[in-house]
Amino acid sequence: MPDLLLLSIASPLLAALLLLVPAPLASRKVIAGLGFALPAFIALYLWSQFSSATLAHGYAFGTQYDTGLKDALGISLHLGLNGISLPLFLLAGLVGLAAGLYALQSKAERPALYLGLLLVMQAGLMGVFASIDVFFFYFFHELALIPTFIMVGIWGGRDRSYAAMKLTIYLTIGAMISLLGLIALYHQSGAENFDLIALRQVVADGALSGSNQNVIFGLLLVGFGILVSLFPFHTWAPLGYGAAPSSAAMLHAGVLKKFGLYGLIQIAAPLLPSGVAHWAWWLGLLAVGGNILYIGFVTIAQRDLKQMIGYSSVMHMGYAFLGIAAYNVVGIGGVVLMMVAHGFSVALLFLLSTSIYHRTQTFDMDDMGGLAQKTPVLAAFFVTATLASIGLPGLANFWGELAIFVGAWSYSTVYTTLAVSGVIISAIYGLRSVSKVFFGDVTPALAKVIGEKPPADLSWGEKVPALLLLSALLVLGFWPKAISGPVNTAVSALYGK
Amino acid sequence: MDLDTIFGFPPQLFAALALLMPLASAALIALTLRRQGNIAALVSTFTAALVAVIGLTLAFKGARFGVNSPVSAEWLNLGGFTLSLGFKFDDLSALMLSIVCVIGLAVHVFSLGYMHDDDSKARYFGGLSLFMFAMFGIVLADNLFMIFIFWELVGLGSYILINHYHFKASAAAAAKKAFIVNRVGDFGFLLGIIACYAAYGTVNLNDLAALHSPVAGALGVGIPLLLFCGAVGKSAQLPLHVWLPDAMEGPTPVSALIHAATMVAAGIFMLCRIEPLFALAPQAFTVVMWVGAATALYAALCAVTQTDIKKVLAYSTLSQLGYMVAAFGLGSLKVAHGEASAHEVVLAAGVGAAMFHLTTHAFFKALMFLGSGSVIHGCHHEQDIFKMGGLSKRMPVTFITFTIGVLAIIGFPGLAGFFSKDAILYLAMENSTPVFVLLCLTAVLTAFYMVRLWKLVFLGATRSDDAAHAHEGGLSMTIPLVALAALSVVGGYEAIYGGHFDGVLKLIAHPHGGAHTTIFAVSLLVMSLGAAAAFLFYKPAPADTLQTKAPGAFASLAGLQKSFDAVYNYYVAKVQQRFALVLNYVDLIGISGFIVRGGAGVAGAVSLAARALHTGSLHAYVYWFLGGSALLWFLATR
Repeated sequence: MPDLLLLSIASPLLAALLLLVPAPLASRKVIAGLGFALPAFIALYLWSQFSSATLAHGYAFGTQYDTGLKDALGISLHLGLNGISLPLFLLAGLVGLAAGLYALQSKAERPALYLGLLLVMQAGLMGVFASIDVFFFYFFHELALIPTFIMVGIWGGRDRSYAAMKLTIYLTIGAMISLLGLIALYHQSGAENFDLIALRQVVADGALSGSNQNVIFGLLLVGFGILVSLFPFHTWAPLGYGAAPSSAAMLHAGVLKKFGLYGLIQIAAPLLPSGVAHWAWWLGLLAVGGNILYIGFVTIAQRDLKQMIGYSSVMHMGYAFLGIAAYNVVGIGGVVLMMVAHGFSVALLFLLSTSIYHRTQTFDMDDMGGLAQKTPVLAAFFVTATLASIGLPGLANFWGELAIFVGAWSYSTVYTTLAVSGVIISAIYGLRSVSKVFFGDVTPALAKVIGEKPPADLSWGEKVPALLLLSALLVLGFWPKAISGPVNTAVSALYGK
Repeated sequence: MDLDTIFGFPPQLFAALALLMPLASAALIALTLRRQGNIAALVSTFTAALVAVIGLTLAFKGARFGVNSPVSAEWLNLGGFTLSLGFKFDDLSALMLSIVCVIGLAVHVFSLGYMHDDDSKARYFGGLSLFMFAMFGIVLADNLFMIFIFWELVGLGSYILINHYHFKASAAAAAKKAFIVNRVGDFGFLLGIIACYAAYGTVNLNDLAALHSPVAGALGVGIPLLLFCGAVGKSAQLPLHVWLPDAMEGPTPVSALIHAATMVAAGIFMLCRIEPLFALAPQAFTVVMWVGAATALYAALCAVTQTDIKKVLAYSTLSQLGYMVAAFGLGSLKVAHGEASAHEVVLAAGVGAAMFHLTTHAFFKALMFLGSGSVIHGCHHEQDIFKMGGLSKRMPVTFITFTIGVLAIIGFPGLAGFFSKDAILYLAMENSTPVFVLLCLTAVLTAFYMVRLWKLVFLGATRSDDAAHAHEGGLSMTIPLVALAALSVVGGYEAIYGGHFDGVLKLIAHPHGGAHTTIFAVSLLVMSLGAAAAFLFYKPAPADTLQTKAPGAFASLAGLQKSFDAVYNYYVAKVQQRFALVLNYVDLIGISGFIVRGGAGVAGAVSLAARALHTGSLHAYVYWFLGGSALLWFLATR
């Protein structure tokens, strides 16, 4: 059997390279479509095989390649999936496919370049979650991040230069600080290579002192925290997503942003337990007071649909940080479930908000209204996506939030109580936005726009990627065990005492 | 007694079918029947009929399960935390299931006529099916997390159906309000469930019933009270009652099913489910009792000034829900065991009285809501009772059945409401005199506003063209009315339940001897007082007689009704929104502040590089990146 993990990374890269060959756009689109689809099918196939796969150190499908860096730096391309990376790998594959399909029907200028950059992003994302070697984990993140900057800069909406600059500054600094933390981890632990399995074994032998752990986890928390928009390092997110082209926003908010949380859960927190304990109180405070409550209220004030989604995404990251602060199997498992669910729902919201924009020519919700009368299917999709993001049972996001709340109760009843009150805040901004966009009377501003160009309901080009994401939300909503089994096994191994 | 198999299959399987078939119906409609409203209506109604057959068979053939041995499957498992999907089908849930099945079917059939010309019939019937699914989930659930999950889902059904006329801003606002206000209640409910899990290590209803002592500290009382928050939201008790009157924006059959008979009663059902937690900490009962009694009286006062036929019924529903909550809160009663025996047993009489009233109320309130739907349909969507009048001649079936409903709710001897109301009044008389007085006052007002409504709608001369041309709906609308009217007559006689719900009905405390006479006399007196006063006082005129004769009293009642909304609107517009805007401003300052200070120094170089990105030299940048990577590679491998 070929190495499917390597293939899932290589195929979008290969497709991106092939796009450089001058050819008719239609055939280039076919190539790009294959590049997006293959990783998704590989991810689905590996997910279906996971339970019967043989595990080595908790990882299935493991393969190792010497890239020539092994002797010098202890770096090798070590690929494999454990219960934490499997659902995120699946997320990357499916959201990548949805974003790709949406991009294929979009009318972006320089379509080949647009698709090529998305494919590079997709390859990086597959690589992030397939890598066991910490160097490649980081390398693939950079590979996915750089196209993001470029795409915001070229195809971004309002304020794109400012947004691109800000995004670059923040995320580069975040990435640099986390790299510093990772190098410190490597150095202080005395590990001989960057392989995560080896690192775990070295650290399990008590290689890291308490004070070292505090410093290293502090670095990683800030570095990864910036990448995940931990308060107060969040300001890049709404601005960046507000400006980013839809497919880039889908991939970044949906998948790439999870890199930081993934790094904390898979690498930092299990290796540095006393470091987590040292920072847990602060982390909880920032998560609950900052991300959930403060950002929650800021979200209520938004008029711009995309900014609102961006802020709500920042708010939901607060739940993830709370789960990490709780540091138990239920809480961390909940974070993994939430990362996956949030990835699907936020990608769907960004996709649909662009579809709304094409019909209203504005993102200002005060200028919208009554759109459901014209586009009932779009309305149904958007309402469902919103309900998912506010944690309605039956849709994936509920399970993650619930498990985080249950896990956090033993950590702090006060933080948990405040965090649970966030469900009211998210209901307020979520339902207010769908009401403003879709229900009630058609506003005069909108009447003018749709008078010139009557809006059509969702086209198949929009509907297929949207259905893909919506199905994922529904399947996980009714059948959380589709991923929670592997998550439980892996998280219990890392966090169960 | 226990039924082991139905047609050779275990009853659990049929319960699962009853739960899943409405879901399948909703999914089918959403996916394929969006444009085929008539087929969607038939699919949904046929499903409702089928599950009614299954549900009533389960209930009346004595199938009970999930009490002694669990019937459950694991839904989610993380670490030590397991959330299961399980059934507890005892007499309490069998009774509730029967109510949902009967009213659900009646409302589906009625909707065939009422919604006949609606443009979005498919969405309407899909919503009804979704609601039935969620409601069955609450009724069958064997643990609190599962109740919570379906609790939120009935809220979704309610949201979709209130929002049915989504092009009306008022309907959209009402749906949003209902969801958010319920979320406030659910905030407490969810915390209570999590706290319960943390304190007792289980949320399984059977395990909770087996507890012997409450957890130490404030949580002993706190847990049942937090769980009660859920009921305050869903059953629209003070101060979260504000969503229910607005929810009347939905189509009238929806008001009958969801906002009168079943979903809003789920709060009372849930309280009865967790009664053992209250029994461990009886102080919690007191809070519930006062909230219920206050709601009962407050809503009855509000009902007096309403001009919209549905709003009168909505406030009446609030008031009756308050009655049920108060009944539950009145708690247990010590009763003599047997005829002449000396020892007493503690009877969970609150559960018995609350569920009994829930049952009869479901019948007569669904009847009256469907009756009002018939009136509204007949009068071409006129809802103002001062523009009706004289409908008794034009809509005789509606008139007769509605009259039965009115008699049932005001407690006319022999009809359903009479028995259940007396059970509550007796319990109040034994346990709390002030609550007894409040509930008697409420009963006077109930008779007063119901007779006012009845007289203005059906008697006298017609006061508008729409009413003059009123007509009866088709059979699909009159048959449900007649069926529910029959149940409103006989629903108070325990014999019709054939002993199948004795686990609940045996909890009803019956007065004996002198107490019996007292209760009967009081009940008759309050009813006659209220009914006669309204009948004599209100003139069939286009203006409210109370408003013309006593404007001061009318204005203060109207002000009382508006007070809560005024406070909440002030909070939302003036406090919450301004607070949000201030924080948003702070956040924007944070953004620009960073750029101003940091931009010059640290970020200067980076921003230069970033600026290069969008000046067209993109390719160069990509090559730089690739070149840099290659260089790194080369240096590292050397």
